Amino acid sequence: MPYILNTEKDVKEMLGCLGISSVEDLFSHIPSSLKLKEPLGIGPGLSELGLKRELKVLAEKNKTIDKFNSFLGAGCYDHYIPAGLKYLLSNSKFVTAYTPYQAECSQGILQAIYEYQSYICLLTGMEVSNASLLDGASAFAEAVLMSMRISKKSRVLVSASINPQYRKTLETYLSGLDCSVELIPFDKDGLIDLAFLSRSVDDGACCFALQSPNYFGLVEDAAESTRIIKKSSALSVMITNPLSLAIFKEPGLLGMDIVCGDGQPLGGGLRFGGPSFGFLASREAYLRQLPGRIVGRTVDKDNNPAFCLTLATREQHIKREKATSNICSNQSLNVIAATIYLAFMGEAGLKDAAGYSFSNAQYLYKRIKEVRGVNMPYGQGFFNEFIWEVKDPEAVLNKLYQKNIIAGHYIGNEFEEHKNCILSCCTEKKTKKDIDDLVNTLAEVLHG
Amino acid sequence: MDDYDIKEPLEDRLQKIRLEEEHIKEQRRILQLQENSIKEERQELVSEQEMLDQVMEEFKKKELLLKDREKELSLRQGLLDKRSKQAQSFKDREDFRLIFEKSRDLHQAHYIDRPEVPSKDPNDFFAKNLLRSSLPIPTLGELQVVRHFSLLSERNFSVDSNFYPLGSCTMKYNPKINDELSDLSGFIDIHPLQCQQDVQGALQVIFNLEQLLCRITGLKRFSMQPSSGAQGELCGMLMIKKFHQISGKKKNTVIIPDSAHGTNPATAAMCGFKIQIVKSNSKGLVDLDYLNSLVSEDTAAMMLTNPNTLGLFEENITEIAEIIHKKGGFLYYDGANLNPLMGFTNPGLMGFDVAHFNLHKTFSTPHGCGGPGAGVIGVGEKLIDFLPVPLVGKKENIFYFDYSPCNSIGRLRSFYGNFSILVRAYAYILRLGERGLARAASNSVLNANYIKEKLKKTFDLPYDKTCMHEVVFSCSRQRERGASALDIAKRLIDYGIHPPTMYFPLIVKEALMIEPTETESKQTLDYFIKSLEKIDREIDQDLQNIKDSPHTSWVKRVDEVKAARFPDLRCKIIGD
Repeated sequence: MPYILNTEKDVKEMLGCLGISSVEDLFSHIPSSLKLKEPLGIGPGLSELGLKRELKVLAEKNKTIDKFNSFLGAGCYDHYIPAGLKYLLSNSKFVTAYTPYQAECSQGILQAIYEYQSYICLLTGMEVSNASLLDGASAFAEAVLMSMRISKKSRVLVSASINPQYRKTLETYLSGLDCSVELIPFDKDGLIDLAFLSRSVDDGACCFALQSPNYFGLVEDAAESTRIIKKSSALSVMITNPLSLAIFKEPGLLGMDIVCGDGQPLGGGLRFGGPSFGFLASREAYLRQLPGRIVGRTVDKDNNPAFCLTLATREQHIKREKATSNICSNQSLNVIAATIYLAFMGEAGLKDAAGYSFSNAQYLYKRIKEVRGVNMPYGQGFFNEFIWEVKDPEAVLNKLYQKNIIAGHYIGNEFEEHKNCILSCCTEKKTKKDIDDLVNTLAEVLHG
Repeated sequence: MDDYDIKEPLEDRLQKIRLEEEHIKEQRRILQLQENSIKEERQELVSEQEMLDQVMEEFKKKELLLKDREKELSLRQGLLDKRSKQAQSFKDREDFRLIFEKSRDLHQAHYIDRPEVPSKDPNDFFAKNLLRSSLPIPTLGELQVVRHFSLLSERNFSVDSNFYPLGSCTMKYNPKINDELSDLSGFIDIHPLQCQQDVQGALQVIFNLEQLLCRITGLKRFSMQPSSGAQGELCGMLMIKKFHQISGKKKNTVIIPDSAHGTNPATAAMCGFKIQIVKSNSKGLVDLDYLNSLVSEDTAAMMLTNPNTLGLFEENITEIAEIIHKKGGFLYYDGANLNPLMGFTNPGLMGFDVAHFNLHKTFSTPHGCGGPGAGVIGVGEKLIDFLPVPLVGKKENIFYFDYSPCNSIGRLRSFYGNFSILVRAYAYILRLGERGLARAASNSVLNANYIKEKLKKTFDLPYDKTCMHEVVFSCSRQRERGASALDIAKRLIDYGIHPPTMYFPLIVKEALMIEPTETESKQTLDYFIKSLEKIDREIDQDLQNIKDSPHTSWVKRVDEVKAARFPDLRCKIIGD
């Protein structure tokens, strides 16, 4: 039997110490009506070799993304990850440790998370960051809950152009509470209808939440939206792509109160959508309402620098039903991965990853626009993805797929207004040839 | 004797001689007595001398021992000094610095290529006020980064390097094969929005894992979306909320034991429920009379873990289920403590309606410094329709995303859950199989009871009965002698052991909650037991040494009060 170290002799001695003769006796206080009468029916265990065989078959049933010329994004991006990251992250002194409750024997974890919090504050221009949440969508839900606690209001205004999965997650998180979610529509340019927003916001609103770049890839005029929101007591919440912040203005400087998003673009890999991590940062004034773990820098008994988890009086294990959130475990290893990614890339590397993605996406936009039968609903104010319109998009996608091209994600099921639209993304990994192939094949598909 | 007077009569002279003879006899007798007494005294002196010799010998022995200890102490002091000096010299070097303090004026590391497409300048596309003016993140060489994180890793305890008996966390060994398999290209290089036919292997993993979990737990269906135990709880409680809403019943109260994990009340509050706390009885179990007095038509659910956080099996679970169900409430299972039950009993049999399971506890996926884990949610018949979507179904050997639950609460996150964690848990169950799981369960119970039996002489055991996978001691006796649970926990670090969970559950004073797990050997447990016994003795020998501990860790005891009072939560060297 794998992974058990006690020998028969050990077991015998231990049973002797307990004054019993078999391990079954340890279960004798469980009422017999509750005891399983039959085996579980999951079969005998496999050898390591046998297990490997079995799982390899399943892994090979999947067609990996590198077998295609793929332009999928929509919340999960195929960026390059420096080789050193995987190597460092497989270190079992990170992998097999737990939450750093005991600061003295967890300094490595704590320092890495402190550095992560510092990076997030630098990228977002916010003053405080937590140690991570589960993913971008749930971080967004927590951001809205946080704004409800701060404002003590329950009317939530949300831009209609945020990722629909985030919207759904928010609705689920709020479904047990007495509150309302109102959508602020987007205008003909795919951006928040600011006039509508101006009419909707009042002191009864807890927050206005937008995503920038939004689900269509477009960069919102967040400066203008915060200007409008500041006329009321509502808070400004922003979902963002952390890599886009290598190019775009720090949300903190745009007047945002809370910033959140998914950390997947920072060296996270695809992994069928998880695990990644959610980040959440805010102004210092709201620190006591921030959910999740936070690491602080302090000193030890000898006055040397040291780190520990701090401000635990916000958390469930201390405050129980009065806690800021129920979150306990987070996504620390993914956070350490992001920290390592940012360290490897540095200022220039990060700017390149963002800038090259931007240039590639702009090139694709320009080329695809030239294809007859393709319509571009919106302009070029996007970061790394955009939507395009074509007649019978699902059939087009399917025909391209036959040529090993995944042209993007069909959004017609998510947006009534965009029945015929496809969301396509470019990262720095796309080559000119990849993009030209898509465009040329699309022209062939549409016009023979 | 005087000369005889010749003139004296013979009679008189004879008389005199007789008298003299008697006198001599008397003298002789006295002499004899004196001689005897001297002999006795001599005897006494000899035995006293012997005693003195003995004492002297012992004294010498003790002296030697003392010298040994002195030597040991000075050696230890020397080692500590050396370490501290070493640490100091480390601290003087760049090894102790933050990554932001290691930045070098380097050219970029050239990980990616400039694209062949025309380079575009964001300034031509966006208003200036939407663009960033500077990005002050540090630039480092690759070796610097590698060394930085390698050094950081050395300052952690981990399951791979230390015994980690953290109660309620099930820090069992994380098999390496699971990491290798979850990292196969076929499992990591797939995009969540690829078409279903291209990710059949991934869907099959989810489908198969669900089948296995159903058999292990006695529940009917699973959603793999929740990515932590707390999110699983939220999912389950929102389903209960929606069920009552749809059936038009106003049920607003959730009952939670006083020994519960903090996540339980926090979750119930996030769902807008009111919370009632049910007390534990003198046996450490749910007080049934108290429970009966709490339940009402307003009872939406009760949240419970079994075994409870004292490591004790709630023997009246069937009665508890009846009490809750009779009022139309649901019984929620916090599956954090499933490990000892696998193959022996299950939540379905115990009457639970909905449950989350921490795959990072029972099913061995690594804890990763606090995540990622998975808190998958399972339900009985009644709540299937309320599960988050999508689920994974199978039709004619094709796996597909199943959106059929018509009352679904929606979704808890993007995509389908922490997929890489699901692969690991699936591999673990396959590897152990039926008997392996039961053996894991029984060994976890054996290990915990062994520790309980051995340490109950030294530490107070508030509930002295057979425990399951963990045991909770109280350090109140030690506290009286000057060392708190915290002190004892910190001192354990010097013995190379990660401290147990402290001060939880809240109903035990000065609690140490110990969960050894099944993957530790008797040898390790014996070392742990001896270490705690030693620390207990140290309280009387050198209390200050415990109070000052740990001595051997990278940093000394950390000032957590300062951390909370003067929050320093990010590096402000650059960008401020």
